Amino acid sequence: MLDIIRLKKIYEGRERSVEAIRDISLSLTDGEFACLVGPSGCGKTTLVKIVSGLLSPTEGEVVLHGDRVTSPPPDMAVVFQEYGRSLFPWMSVSDNVALPLKQKGLSKARIADLVENSLDSVGLSDARSAFPWQLSGGMQQRVAIARAIAYEPRLLLMDEPFAAVDAHTREDLEDLVYGLWRNLGITTLFVTHDIDEAVYLGQRVIVLSSSPTYVRRDIVIDLPTERSQLHTRSSPRFAELRSAVYAEIHPVAAE
Amino acid sequence: MIRRIVYVLAVPLAAITVWWFASAGSVDFYFPPLQTILEAFAARWGAEGLVRDVLPSVSRLLIGYLTAAVVGIALGTFVGLFRPARDLLAWVLEFFRAVPSPVTVPILILFFGIGDVMKIVVIIAACVWPILLNTEKGVRSTDEVLGDTSRVFGITGVARVRHYVLPGASPFIFAGLRQGLSFAVVVMVISELFAATNGIGFAVIQAQRTFDIPKMWAGIILIGLLGVVLATVFRFIERRQLRWYRGARDAERSA
Repeated sequence: MLDIIRLKKIYEGRERSVEAIRDISLSLTDGEFACLVGPSGCGKTTLVKIVSGLLSPTEGEVVLHGDRVTSPPPDMAVVFQEYGRSLFPWMSVSDNVALPLKQKGLSKARIADLVENSLDSVGLSDARSAFPWQLSGGMQQRVAIARAIAYEPRLLLMDEPFAAVDAHTREDLEDLVYGLWRNLGITTLFVTHDIDEAVYLGQRVIVLSSSPTYVRRDIVIDLPTERSQLHTRSSPRFAELRSAVYAEIHPVAAE
Repeated sequence: MIRRIVYVLAVPLAAITVWWFASAGSVDFYFPPLQTILEAFAARWGAEGLVRDVLPSVSRLLIGYLTAAVVGIALGTFVGLFRPARDLLAWVLEFFRAVPSPVTVPILILFFGIGDVMKIVVIIAACVWPILLNTEKGVRSTDEVLGDTSRVFGITGVARVRHYVLPGASPFIFAGLRQGLSFAVVVMVISELFAATNGIGFAVIQAQRTFDIPKMWAGIILIGLLGVVLATVFRFIERRQLRWYRGARDAERSA
């Protein structure tokens, strides 16, 4: 349902041009949860921006459900890393979740329904009338996630969403996202620099090289569908998969 | 709360007390006792005086100021959002901004006569500038991540200006509106010093011409009081509108 075809992105500067992405091709099938891992600075955010239609590639194209992506499509939602800057600070939590739905032109009843359900599923029903600045970082990111799923997207893009929260909150949010995916079945492309997180959450881990970026390896994660922080992460298979990913990212160190 | 009221009233009350006793036995023609001034105040600015002069003055002030606010915010937003507009108008705006509007009164009389319209135009021409420039600055300083978020969720066009650009720029806009208010009061008085038949400024200049010094001082005190009242009302409105901004800033500082 999502096809990224021979993507290339060169940033033209005044003195020099930077080849952020050399060649990325990958496909996602309906309902899949795929993780994208790569070293820092490897153009992951550039990739997210291109796939979401915020940026246009130098070469190649992104096709979502048969349609070329040239600007942000209406059936794609994004959760950004900087949750503090991604929520509207002048609106309450429920208004934040409702605004994209109002733009879609849905009925008031439907909007109220979606807002209530999505806030419920991230555990923030009580925070409906709070303002973002009154919430902790983890809660703010939950609002962003609620907003994304209330939007009823066919593709959910998450750009290192838990990089800026503390470890304990990160574990809760990982389980939240995984649980939501199991319930709702939304196709998810999860970008992260955290190898453990990628293996824990994904059905598939796509490893990117450092800049100029290309796809190094596409690893199938054959862990059981039932996952838990405690058991899954201490299983031998998890360790094997983790090592495989690590070896792709740090080829010299792994030897 | 009581302490705050005491602090706010302390200096004015002290100053009035000092003035009262320092000027009590004065026989200087230009610095009469405060008691004489206050008697003249009560005589001149009773119900009749308020209706005859304060009402027209304040009406012109408010009409001029509010029109300048609408024009300033609209133009400032336009110039802030569109780079070509900014480049085209930069020098023209700086040129007109440099000319103090009271200086243009003789020209304005040619176009608008000596009635209310001319005075209102003078007020608009003075206070539109801080509003316009601060709005432009605010529009240009909106958060990029929030801008991307808006695009992703289809909040574009008019909705983008309404939900993202203007609220994001509102701290700057209020700063401009506050400055514009000061200008408006000053220019309102100046516009009534020449070619006027009513108004607070007119009352002051008439008192000067007839050497009614206590009434002149009374008029000056009234202008100051008007400034205080307007500033208080403004602050009240601003606090309500920017509650989210203070909250977010405080949260950031304590993080």
